[in-house]
Amino acid sequence: MLRSSGLGLLSRVVSGLALLFVAGALPWLSQRDPAASILRARYAELEPTPEALDAIRAQLGLEGGPLPTALRWWAGVFRGDLGNSWVSGGPIGPGVWAALGVSATLTVFAVVVALMVASALVVPAARRVLRGAPQRGSGPVGVALTALPEFLLASALLVVVAVQLRWLPPYGWSGLHTAVLPSLALGIPAGGLLGRLVADAVAGVADERWVEVWRLAGARPSVILAGVLRRAAATVVDQLGLVFIGLLGGAVAVEQVFAIPGLGRYLLGAANAQDLPALQAGVLLMALAAVVLGLLTGVARRALLGGPLAAGTLPAPPEPRGDDRAARWTAGTALAALLLLLAVGLPRDPYSIVHPRLAPPSGDLPFGADASGRDLLARVAHGTLGTLLPSLGIVLLGIVTALLLAALGELSRGPAEIANATPPILAGVIIAALLGPSVGGAALAVLWVTWPPLTTHAAALLDEARAMPHIRWLPLAGVPPLEIWFRHVLPATLPPLLRHGMLRLPGVALALAALGFLGLGAQPPLPEWGLLLSEGIDYVERAPWTTLAPATALVLTSVLAVALAGLRPRQRARRQVGPGTKRSAPAGSAHQATQPS
Amino acid sequence: MNASHAVLELTGVTAVHGEGKRARTVLSPTSLAVMPGESVAVVGRSGAGKSTLADIALGLRHPASGTVLVQGTEWCTASRRPRPDRRHLVQGVPQDPAAAFVPRRTLRRSIEQAVRRLTGEANPAERIRRAAELASLDPALLDRRPGELSGGQAQRAALARALAVKPVLLVADEPSSALDAATAAAVSASLLSLVQDTGIALLLVTHDPAFAARCTRTVTLTAPADASGLAA
Repeated sequence: MLRSSGLGLLSRVVSGLALLFVAGALPWLSQRDPAASILRARYAELEPTPEALDAIRAQLGLEGGPLPTALRWWAGVFRGDLGNSWVSGGPIGPGVWAALGVSATLTVFAVVVALMVASALVVPAARRVLRGAPQRGSGPVGVALTALPEFLLASALLVVVAVQLRWLPPYGWSGLHTAVLPSLALGIPAGGLLGRLVADAVAGVADERWVEVWRLAGARPSVILAGVLRRAAATVVDQLGLVFIGLLGGAVAVEQVFAIPGLGRYLLGAANAQDLPALQAGVLLMALAAVVLGLLTGVARRALLGGPLAAGTLPAPPEPRGDDRAARWTAGTALAALLLLLAVGLPRDPYSIVHPRLAPPSGDLPFGADASGRDLLARVAHGTLGTLLPSLGIVLLGIVTALLLAALGELSRGPAEIANATPPILAGVIIAALLGPSVGGAALAVLWVTWPPLTTHAAALLDEARAMPHIRWLPLAGVPPLEIWFRHVLPATLPPLLRHGMLRLPGVALALAALGFLGLGAQPPLPEWGLLLSEGIDYVERAPWTTLAPATALVLTSVLAVALAGLRPRQRARRQVGPGTKRSAPAGSAHQATQPS
Repeated sequence: MNASHAVLELTGVTAVHGEGKRARTVLSPTSLAVMPGESVAVVGRSGAGKSTLADIALGLRHPASGTVLVQGTEWCTASRRPRPDRRHLVQGVPQDPAAAFVPRRTLRRSIEQAVRRLTGEANPAERIRRAAELASLDPALLDRRPGELSGGQAQRAALARALAVKPVLLVADEPSSALDAATAAAVSASLLSLVQDTGIALLLVTHDPAFAARCTRTVTLTAPADASGLAA
């Protein structure tokens, strides 16, 4: 049995080493021979003889294979040398450090905004604890704040506040006034997520039995609130990492929208120019930032819990009560609106240029025309397919991957942790730099962040299925292990996994759209929502409808994503385990451990 | 087959639950032998490892250490499960009798499949009829699904399923715990008379002292030291 925790450790160490190797060998892995193109660019008169190419390779540090490339790069990093840009030929260090400084400043502002938003969301739940009133789930405000992904919120702020109202500058990084919009765009979704997590945890904790006991014992409401908050924070602190990873990824989009010379925009530029040494440096700094944030989370966790606890020691608080009706209605309405958009727009032609450029919406063109004179309604409707079909493929592939990896058990732990810590946008940047921007590359990047939660769920479902009494007893009927697996365990696992995957579909579509928006996914003239939005934003002053049309579709999808995520999963599997058996998990002693001391 | 061999012989068998740091012993070293035609009751407090012992005897779970012999030959070890051609030797009646059957299939299909796979018998109808008779199961019930039976009927059906493959040892894990008093008495009576009539040995896990008293022998398990907190 020791074997399996050893496997988990081994898996982590191997994955970590693989990550370091891949980071170092990125230039070699890209496989587009930079030597030939640079030779042509720099020395037009030279023949591309093998000797000349070798000389260039040596100059770029590419001779040998992937391992020497990686080792040389890491050796340079430890000497403080980040290498030279392939594009400018100059050293990378100064530029990337300046970008990091800008990003760090922006992140601090964003965290301030996030904390303000989060506190505002937690106040109602905390007041209910003080008054001893029954708790409700997080309200529609929290949902609305988390609904919009950063790239969409940033675009909306840019269009409304900077362009239409002209209250603040639309781009640049030259003073406090230029930092307001970007930190709002970054901080509001993060604060909304954080606030919802804490508010839901507070609501759940307030229903735990010890709260009632304290109240009966005459504890002052403020003492109870302090206890509830501490207990709630302890359950949320592990998810802080998620919020920070969201910030890191969101920064890429926000910096791009507001033209801020930060690390995110630096990475994006490096990816577009395929300047791999610059990309390496940016990724390295981003990974370092993630490690620092992870350490901070660990410190916070230690302070709250008073020491390291084994995973699973602290039981999750019960889900807050509250009805699903609002969530169901919201999801239903958003879905109906999307279907209407599809039904009306699909028969129209998204490619032919037959309308006046930037024609305003009219009876004939309900959403107007884009800068080339194409029907925007048709483009958005076809974009639904262009975005949702790849998303569906990603989800299905994710499910297959999840099942395979769940069967591997502990061996998949290391890659899962790395994947969990990668923002999809960062994965998209790296893949686009390696393979060039394409729908497939973007899909691969989104798949990379989609499989870990599905794998966790699949592993739990497989365990549950294998523990079902009649499946446990199949060997006694002479059924061989493989047949048990394929004819009994798998069929019991697939339906809930498919449901889970479908719930993730809108979120996957948004991640894909974010990559399209940044130019890392679908390429023109493909109609894809993110791409449509980025095409429209250039004309936002003259023709705001060019952004309004794709933004509407994206907002509907966002609402659908959040509403679906709020639905409670139906506990169908639990009912199949008979009440008379002894094998149901012991849940009795949970409350002793939950009481904060 | 050598009659002097014990049907089941456990020597220093232990079991561990969980992995790594969270692993805990759920069965402290246990040795016991069941001779042909004998009925042995296993009693002990909750957490003593009774069900674990039953699972090891059935070959559903690996022992952490010790040897398990069935008819004098190795049955299962920490890494090896019972050989397919010997699976029929030990059969059981589960605590939740529905567990002996695939929910969406009729009892007959489940039993037929078990007989074909475990004994190679091509035409199992006659065997199933005789097994149902031995288990006092109304043959008309064979065409129902496990969800359509009462607790007592399901218990008899599970017994019929086990008997149809002609085992040498029956392992019953709390066979009467989910039944009312009258049905439980009927089930225990039929199990014990089966042992007398057919010579099949019985390993019975039970909480019921009266039931245990009617067996040939009683073995008491004590909870492993590090599981005491759980049993409290």
